Amino acid sequence: MTPQEDHSNDDALAGEYALHLLDAEERQAFEDRMVTDSRLLERVRDWDHHFAAMAESFTPVVPSSDIKVRIDDRLFGTAGDKPGSRWRWFTSFGLGATVALIAIIAVLSFVNPPPAEPAFTAQVAAEDASLVVVANYFPQTGRLQIDRLVGAAADGRALELWLIAEGASAPVSLGLLSADAVTALQVNSSLAPQIAGATLAISDEPSGGSPTGAPTGDVLAVGQVSEI
Amino acid sequence: MTTRDEIEDLIARVSLGDRKAFSALYEATSAKLFGVCLRILNNRAEAEETLQEAFVRIWQKSGSYAANGYSPMTWLITLTRNLAIDKLRTRKGRTFDIDEMYDLSDDKPGPEAQAIATSERAQIDACMAELEQEKATAVKSAYLEGYSYQELATRYDVPLNTMRTWLRRSLIKLKECLTR
Repeated sequence: MTPQEDHSNDDALAGEYALHLLDAEERQAFEDRMVTDSRLLERVRDWDHHFAAMAESFTPVVPSSDIKVRIDDRLFGTAGDKPGSRWRWFTSFGLGATVALIAIIAVLSFVNPPPAEPAFTAQVAAEDASLVVVANYFPQTGRLQIDRLVGAAADGRALELWLIAEGASAPVSLGLLSADAVTALQVNSSLAPQIAGATLAISDEPSGGSPTGAPTGDVLAVGQVSEI
Repeated sequence: MTTRDEIEDLIARVSLGDRKAFSALYEATSAKLFGVCLRILNNRAEAEETLQEAFVRIWQKSGSYAANGYSPMTWLITLTRNLAIDKLRTRKGRTFDIDEMYDLSDDKPGPEAQAIATSERAQIDACMAELEQEKATAVKSAYLEGYSYQELATRYDVPLNTMRTWLRRSLIKLKECLTR
């Protein structure tokens, strides 16, 4: 294949991707390539830009007024807040041979207005998107806000969030995800410097969390932390 | 009317957790984005669900917006359109009736649209016009109605591979025109 053909081929492929015409396998392969090839990302962006211009012709329709209320409920939990009812202790865990036990107290509470300026973010997602959460870390307060967008723990099971620092040999538990869509965890200050460049993972654990301090169930979702 | 810069500013403030900015962004863009959902899904309940999902994502992902190189309306429309397509694809046994299809030639930009994309719209329209009409319609159907290759092949009554070859060639032609 000549470079010219290759170029056109990637343009067409990026167009098919933007149109959602690729099947699941092709889509995944393309996304894998995009991770390392920023030119592919640019090609998709170009297509999105051109195609979005077509969507400009759609007639705007004002949605009914309760839609915004429902969005706010989902994001900010204004309907289901019960102050003081969700404090829980967490498990402690080992950090391997070099580090002694560190205990984390994780505070699970419904989140009201999110404070300003998360500095790090991660989308932690299953390959088949059956579980998708977004984590935002606020370094000023050491708070990690986790929004569960898709999926939930299986009946009688819990979802546990793990921090795998860059170059670390073992994951460290950050706590359990709440049954609510939004979870706020307090990250121990000794772990804070490890957030940058880390990987977050979610595993399926017994209710109450991993009994061993290391993941015992399937790793359901992973995601890379990136700086905002 | 909200300008591009104003929308960009609102997204930046949303990324800092500013709920007032989030409400203002919703005010400024929800009708446009709901129009996208309705057009693709042609079902009000599904469109409402998708619009909610879109604004949840916008809140979550606004922090990554500044770095992604998208113009604000392209980002919002693409995010919403992709969620609507996902929703469409999860429908079981989606039926397909040519008579119910929109007449794509009827699409005209509304007054609101003109603020954002007059030149872009003119460009894509001009390049679409250079394609054979049925191929241009196939590309539009894929984008605007979320048709899969299988659905397009059924519609045009050609084998799936032929449909794919057609569409890929059309995309390459389109791209050549758009970068001219």
